[in-house]
Amino acid sequence: MAVRRQTLVLLVLLAPVTLFLGVFFLLPLVIIALFSLLAPGLYGGVEWTFYHWNYGRIFGWADGLIEIYEPIYLQILGRSLGFAAMTVVLCLILCYPVAFWVSRLPSRWRLFFIFLITLPFFSSLIVRLYAWLLILKPSGLLNSVLMGMDLISQPLEILYTPAAVVLGMVYVMVPFMFLPLYSAVDNLDRALIEASMDLGATRVQTFLKVILPQTLPGILGGSVIVFIPSVGNFIVPDVLGGAKGLMIGNLVEQQFLSARNWPFGSALSMVVMTLVLVVLLTSMAAARRKGSQNA
Amino acid sequence: MRNPLGWAALTLFSLVFFLFIYAPLLVIIGYSFNSNPVNMMQWEHFTFDWYRGLLGLGERAADPNNRAVYVESTEKMLAALRTSLMVAGLSTTISTVIGTATAIALARYRFRAKGFYNGFLMLPMMMPDIVLGIGLLIFFVTVGIHLSMLTIIIGHCTFLSSYVFIIVQARIAGLDPALEEASADLGASEWVTLRKVLLPQLAPGILGGALLAFVISMDDLVITYFVAGTDNTTLPVFIFGMVRRGVKPEINAIATLMILTSVLIAALGLWLRSRKAD
Amino acid sequence: MALLEIRNARREFVTPEGTRLAALDGIDLDIGANEFVTLLGPSGCGKTTLLRAIAGFETLDSGTLALDGNDISTQPPHRRPVNTVFQSYALFSHMTVARNVGYALEVRSVERQVREHAVAEVLEKVGLSGMGTRRPNQLSGGQRQRVALARAIIGKPRLLLLDEPLSALDRNLRQQMQLELKTLQNTLGIAFVFVTHDQEEALTMSDRIVVMRAGKIEQIGSPRQIYRHPKSRFVAEFIGETNLFTVTIDRIDGSHALAHTADGLELILPAGNCKPGGNVQVVLRPADFSISDQGIAATVTKAVYLGSDLHLFVQPTVGGPEISITARDSAQAPQPGSKVHLAYDPAAPHVLETA
Repeated sequence: MAVRRQTLVLLVLLAPVTLFLGVFFLLPLVIIALFSLLAPGLYGGVEWTFYHWNYGRIFGWADGLIEIYEPIYLQILGRSLGFAAMTVVLCLILCYPVAFWVSRLPSRWRLFFIFLITLPFFSSLIVRLYAWLLILKPSGLLNSVLMGMDLISQPLEILYTPAAVVLGMVYVMVPFMFLPLYSAVDNLDRALIEASMDLGATRVQTFLKVILPQTLPGILGGSVIVFIPSVGNFIVPDVLGGAKGLMIGNLVEQQFLSARNWPFGSALSMVVMTLVLVVLLTSMAAARRKGSQNA
Repeated sequence: MRNPLGWAALTLFSLVFFLFIYAPLLVIIGYSFNSNPVNMMQWEHFTFDWYRGLLGLGERAADPNNRAVYVESTEKMLAALRTSLMVAGLSTTISTVIGTATAIALARYRFRAKGFYNGFLMLPMMMPDIVLGIGLLIFFVTVGIHLSMLTIIIGHCTFLSSYVFIIVQARIAGLDPALEEASADLGASEWVTLRKVLLPQLAPGILGGALLAFVISMDDLVITYFVAGTDNTTLPVFIFGMVRRGVKPEINAIATLMILTSVLIAALGLWLRSRKAD
Repeated sequence: MALLEIRNARREFVTPEGTRLAALDGIDLDIGANEFVTLLGPSGCGKTTLLRAIAGFETLDSGTLALDGNDISTQPPHRRPVNTVFQSYALFSHMTVARNVGYALEVRSVERQVREHAVAEVLEKVGLSGMGTRRPNQLSGGQRQRVALARAIIGKPRLLLLDEPLSALDRNLRQQMQLELKTLQNTLGIAFVFVTHDQEEALTMSDRIVVMRAGKIEQIGSPRQIYRHPKSRFVAEFIGETNLFTVTIDRIDGSHALAHTADGLELILPAGNCKPGGNVQVVLRPADFSISDQGIAATVTKAVYLGSDLHLFVQPTVGGPEISITARDSAQAPQPGSKVHLAYDPAAPHVLETA
């Protein structure tokens, strides 16, 4: 009888999440997959016929009549991956030394700087991007300052370039890289570093052979957390990027809100989703392998 | 082992890093008080006009030529703020219940699908929000649910539940299982133990999770952008629209208010955490 | 009829590697109404599982638990008239000390005034009068221990279970609490079942000690019986320091037996059931030996200073393993390297029943 009552409680506890995520998370994903294989309707919507040309347009097969293969889609996809990868690398380069620095501070200051890092997380994303719009504009703060110092004679064209997009993404993603890195660096046993130096390793050797491997899980975790939202991002390129800064997220948005080609938009999102899942599963497998090595 | 020169370089690098994070926010705050309406980056003199304008007050708003524009955008902005607060309030409540129930179920019961649920709950957080947004859009349109505040709330709950789950789960993991055993041992039924011991012990985690959910909901742009429909706008979507249409000086004022609010919320969160520590 | 009768209790666990492990492998145990019983054994012997099974946190695979003749083995923990003092104390940090202590009455909806009276009374019993308004995290380790105790006895359980409750305390406090627990058990007049891996603790407090090993009961007896007359080598070595000799009986001489070890060390034992030519194991405690003019010839190899006593390791001249003995410390105490003779009362050696 006790067992049956336990099962009942368990059911009550699990029912909300199962129903909610089943209907409003899994089902929509299934519908995207389904729509990506249907034909676009004439005035938006779909026709319920099997249609693989949506993928053909992206990956290089086309019927030559209505749907044309255009390499621009793969280019934009490649660009999105490139931007995301650059964002990850730049975040790492910025955060790693700072994480190290913060972890070596007296505890009062440590808490203060961690608070400073997490604070932007609480403030609006769009506000933070907007700030860069103000700074990078041709008549913006950066150009005003540089011209005022006579360093340049003409305003720099930074806004609406790929550089602006990557800068914006780095700015938005930095806290997500910092926290896992910090916890890895902070958990690092200092005796390990001292032992390595004591045994005759140089600073560089100690870093490469002790510190880096020990903090690898944090690096990996932070990279995944930064990479995934970066690939599919459409807000940052929308605000800071021009035509050359367009990413796959913007393509998807266009298909839904202006071109009204839902099946093609679904196919594009399937590509994003697949990319993300591949990255996620690979990194999880890598983390597990690393874990079993250590064990 | 500390090399003074290396340490100084590291300190300098770190301080520049923090400047990089905060300078843009300070720029906004500074220019929200700049009276130059044409080029905001040229400092004229100090003014509260943009803040007055937000509230439909002040000389600029009183100017009959300008009035219509300011009053309209003010009303729209306040409506967006109201929508944001209602959406965040309701979706925080719902996702806190869902996330907490799930965390308790996974931590305190043994069943076969446990591993599946643990992975499954990570997915909404890991899924790019654009995919989730268009997925929900197609779903609502296909099923025939009118896009409204309800669809925004549903959209938010799909990923907020996972955030609450993570935070509450971390709290349960740190809890001594003997606490619940002690309660049962002293004569409390499962339900009484839940009410008198487990929930109070989890309270800091639940509160922290709810706070996080509220902040994320208030800030969500992408999901809302797709499932809001035409009648409802949240504050981030409203500002996004303003930013897209071209920069207006009142944005600085709104943005400054939002930054200050977020500082307050973050401070509240920190205070909660320090209370949890004792 | 005993208060608690445990019959053929079995409980298996499956280890992460997939092998089955019998935590309780057919336990039979009776606990009397006003008894202080200690479950003693190394970690993994099943003592905690047995305690948790009595409390109801573990269900038995088979066997019965009868309290006053009623089977309680299917009852959930909150219906059993048994309370527990947890190793971690498990105090509710979100409640005051008074609410913690009164919890058992609170969940039974006992009237507020009655409850407050009972809380004050039991707090006084454990020496915490006036501490009711504090929070558990404002208390010292020893005070938390007392709160846990007060909380467990307020509901007047038939049986109090204590799961290594003293392990987190420092040595002095632990010894003081041992005495207090024993006194408390006498005044309350209820049975205590106490789990520990500390043999000294077991010897100090218990009416009876149950020595467990690998899910089975190795021996049940009074502290003296367990110490002086261990049934097996395991019990002998687990409780106190032991010199163990495997000897062959040469002949029986009245109430004594003469025997020798493989190394040629000669010993005199109580005859008991010994038969000439038989092999038996003999236990001699360090304190059984004294340094004398005659007896076993040996050389001191090591002396460890213990305050008023010395712990000496001596090597018998004929060879074989070292013997450990205790001696009073004095100016004449032997030094490493000195030649000594070891004597003992012929009644002192204890012959083990089993190998």
